[in-house]
Amino acid sequence: MFRFQSLDDDCTLEEEDEGHVEEEDEIDQFNDDTFGAGAIDDDWQEEHKRLAELDERDGLGAGLGGGGLGGESDLGGADLSSSACRLPPPPSLSALGFSSSSSGLPPQDAEDRAGEGDLAESLARLILDADPAIAGVGAAERPGPPPGSSGPGLSALHRLDQARALPQPSSIPHPSQAHQHPHHTQHQLPAGPSTSGLPPPSSMLSYQQQQHLMRRGPAPMGQMNSHSIWENSMGFGPVSVAPGLVTHMEDSPLMSIIKEVGLPKRPPQGRNDEGRDLSERVPPPRSSSPVIGSPPVRAIPIGTPPKQPMSHALNHQIHHPTAVHVRAPVQHRYPTPFPERLSPNTLLNIANSPLCRGPFPPGVGPVLSQIQRAQLLNSQVAGFPRGGPAPPLLPGSGGFRPFFGGPPPPHGHRMGPPPPHGPPNHTPPIRHNTTHLHPQHRRMLTQRMQSRGGDRGRTGGDRRSRDPYSNLMTQKEKEWVTKIQMMQLQSTDPYLDDYYYQNYYEKMEKRQEKETDSSKKEHTTKLITPQVAKVEHTYRPVQFAGSLGKLTVSSVNNPRKMIDAVVTTRTDDEVCWHSVVCEKREKQVWNKRRQILYTVEKMYSLLLEVQDFEKRFVQAPEEDRESLLEQHKNNTVQLCNSLREKEWEDRVSDEQCVMIMSVRKGKRLISRILPFLPAPQAAAVVMAIARNLPALAKKDKQDQVLCWLVEPVSAVIQSLSSSTLTDLLQDLQGSEGQLASVLHNKFGVTLLYLILSEGERMQSSDPNCQLMDDNRWTELVFSVTRELLSVPSSSLSPPLFVPPNLLSLFSRYVDRQRLELLQDKLQISDLSR
Amino acid sequence: MNYVPGTSSLIEDIDKKHLVLLRDGRTLIGYLRSIDQFANLVFHQTVERIHVGKKFGDIPRGIFIVRGENVVLLGEIDVDRPCDTVLQQVSIEEILEEQRLEQQAKQETEKVKMQVLKDRGLSIPKADNLDEY
Repeated sequence: MFRFQSLDDDCTLEEEDEGHVEEEDEIDQFNDDTFGAGAIDDDWQEEHKRLAELDERDGLGAGLGGGGLGGESDLGGADLSSSACRLPPPPSLSALGFSSSSSGLPPQDAEDRAGEGDLAESLARLILDADPAIAGVGAAERPGPPPGSSGPGLSALHRLDQARALPQPSSIPHPSQAHQHPHHTQHQLPAGPSTSGLPPPSSMLSYQQQQHLMRRGPAPMGQMNSHSIWENSMGFGPVSVAPGLVTHMEDSPLMSIIKEVGLPKRPPQGRNDEGRDLSERVPPPRSSSPVIGSPPVRAIPIGTPPKQPMSHALNHQIHHPTAVHVRAPVQHRYPTPFPERLSPNTLLNIANSPLCRGPFPPGVGPVLSQIQRAQLLNSQVAGFPRGGPAPPLLPGSGGFRPFFGGPPPPHGHRMGPPPPHGPPNHTPPIRHNTTHLHPQHRRMLTQRMQSRGGDRGRTGGDRRSRDPYSNLMTQKEKEWVTKIQMMQLQSTDPYLDDYYYQNYYEKMEKRQEKETDSSKKEHTTKLITPQVAKVEHTYRPVQFAGSLGKLTVSSVNNPRKMIDAVVTTRTDDEVCWHSVVCEKREKQVWNKRRQILYTVEKMYSLLLEVQDFEKRFVQAPEEDRESLLEQHKNNTVQLCNSLREKEWEDRVSDEQCVMIMSVRKGKRLISRILPFLPAPQAAAVVMAIARNLPALAKKDKQDQVLCWLVEPVSAVIQSLSSSTLTDLLQDLQGSEGQLASVLHNKFGVTLLYLILSEGERMQSSDPNCQLMDDNRWTELVFSVTRELLSVPSSSLSPPLFVPPNLLSLFSRYVDRQRLELLQDKLQISDLSR
Repeated sequence: MNYVPGTSSLIEDIDKKHLVLLRDGRTLIGYLRSIDQFANLVFHQTVERIHVGKKFGDIPRGIFIVRGENVVLLGEIDVDRPCDTVLQQVSIEEILEEQRLEQQAKQETEKVKMQVLKDRGLSIPKADNLDEY
């Protein structure tokens, strides 16, 4: 900002005085004419109308010439209007269109009416007008051509307007802005401080710059609401013209335009700070993140060091939230072309901002390079204690003195030289948010530091001040490293992580309490250890307030939760009867099966004991044999009992057997148990098997282990009596159709053959056998043969083995023909043949 | 101490002259300018000091950036204290020559040792991952 002023001053120094004086007068006059003495808050349009009526009465001619040039500057619009109002027809007013927003019109009108020749003239004037020095000359000339006649006057006016309008705000392509700007600044003038208060740099440029200055000074942000387009494009744009070019200003209209317009717009300062410091930007809250459910995406990873803001040496606007109307003395206004040291402007700004704010600036870092910053800090720190001649880095020391004298320099980053006026018990700035030290500890530390600082302060400070490369690591960076180190110290359980520290200080505390009086308050301080909040890491699905249910959006970090499978126990009330029953049945089945398995296991262990008995018996010494025997008997008894379903029944329970046999292991068990069972029970078991063979066979389909039973069963059968045998055969045949299914099964067939063969053996061996006493046996055999013949060969499964005496059996009961058939079917070898 | 009370930090060592011994045996002396959380060090006006016997030589190296994991020890040099060592500073060429000779001698003894061991049927495998100097 003061750069503007400096430029103004430069202009002032270089330009002629006469032109300025003239312009100044004219401007001021028109100021007063237009707005009256003092600021008026009225809408400029109303004002314009009022004045138009006034001017109409006055007439056009007089004001035209004067109004010609004077209205050049931002007053152009109103002045033009006021001067234009002197034209008789009101429609021409609107045709002029300066008041209106249709601002593209006037230049065209001017062109159309003025013609090509005038265009050249106007362009020439544009260039000339751009230069305030010549503007005055032009002003003198202009009243000439357009006399009172409306046509040429109009054209001249247009030309003038054009000429005036064009150089003002921007280049020709932006006539709208051109016209808005004059109005805009008009508007500003009444609002802002009075124009009379302005220092008199009479060039239109400087005037505009002053406008900017004034505008920006009081409330830079507050004026955003009005004429925002113009504000943005121009308001904060600094004129980044190297001061060296100032001397060439009058030669280049472009420069002037740039000076007025500024470079491409910059966002206002507040946003600037946040925008630059990406590493400290808070990520948006979770629900509004576009990647719902995923962790907030950090553009910059967490571990990156603080970024240095861009170092535009000339970009010093950031440091001035408040206008500082300080100018460097003339000789220091132009920095060296290569500012390896700081430019006075930058230095000034930096001196202003960080110093005034204390040791830890909020987040706005200087925009210098590392070296420059370091030098600055060196010079500042060096400068203060000495208070003598300014360090060589700062040109124009006189002007900067007040800034150093005021606020105390930051001593946070440097522990060496304590300020001379520092209190002796001054504690260094310990950040309480990062560490919680035991108060005793802290006291010790401060003492230690002070003693160290006091001893080495002077020499260290001097040495460091002479070191031009010190402070390359900025405060911010140091803090950042410290922060990381502190993060590593966080602990949820300090007694676990830092046991010795905690205990040591506890002991010290106790010791101190003993030594000194307890009246001192400081010993009642308690140790506060930093506790890191235990963050909940359980998955909580993203939910929005007021919505029903959960989102179906999922990501890799936030996988979709499966459908909440809630386990509900069914009660009779809720669920239908059928399902309840089914469930119950299922449960029952399962329970039963479990029970069977359990029984089988128990029996197995008994069985093993029984089987091992003999071995043990042999090995055991004499004394133990009896007990072993006893045990054995018990076991056997138990085994038998287990086959019984109910305790009080003597018989082997059919159901139990079947149940056991339904399990594969059970079948195996039975096959192993049979030899140990007493005869009747064994027989009973076999009978049970025979009776339930179809069922067993069906269950055995997968396992096919029934055949294990063959041997023990055959052994049992051979011990059977004839009647039992007959019964067995009967059982085997059982109900209708059972035999067929029996024959279907291998074991069944085998069993059948066994029975028959046994019968045959009985008959053949023992003439007194009672097998033939009743016809049962014969009938049964008959039925068997019948069945055998009728059953198709395919369904007849081959037995495990074929007893040899079957043929003789069959030959007893069947005739030759059938015998042969049987033979073929069963493939019984004919021994007799 | 200012920043991290109760812990050890390199912050207060910044801008001071330090001597650092690296894992490969080099000794560097320079002004510590910057650090980071891994204790990577930035040295300024670094000088590599080679010691051979009672002689030493300084080789100016400029700016050094040392990766933290390669630091064995780091110590501050008090520039104010008078230097009363018995070491004799020599030129760079001389010290490099001395170093070369020392390395050569060492290699020869190592070779002889290996040969002797080999003759006796022993072999000590050379641990390549150790830092030997």
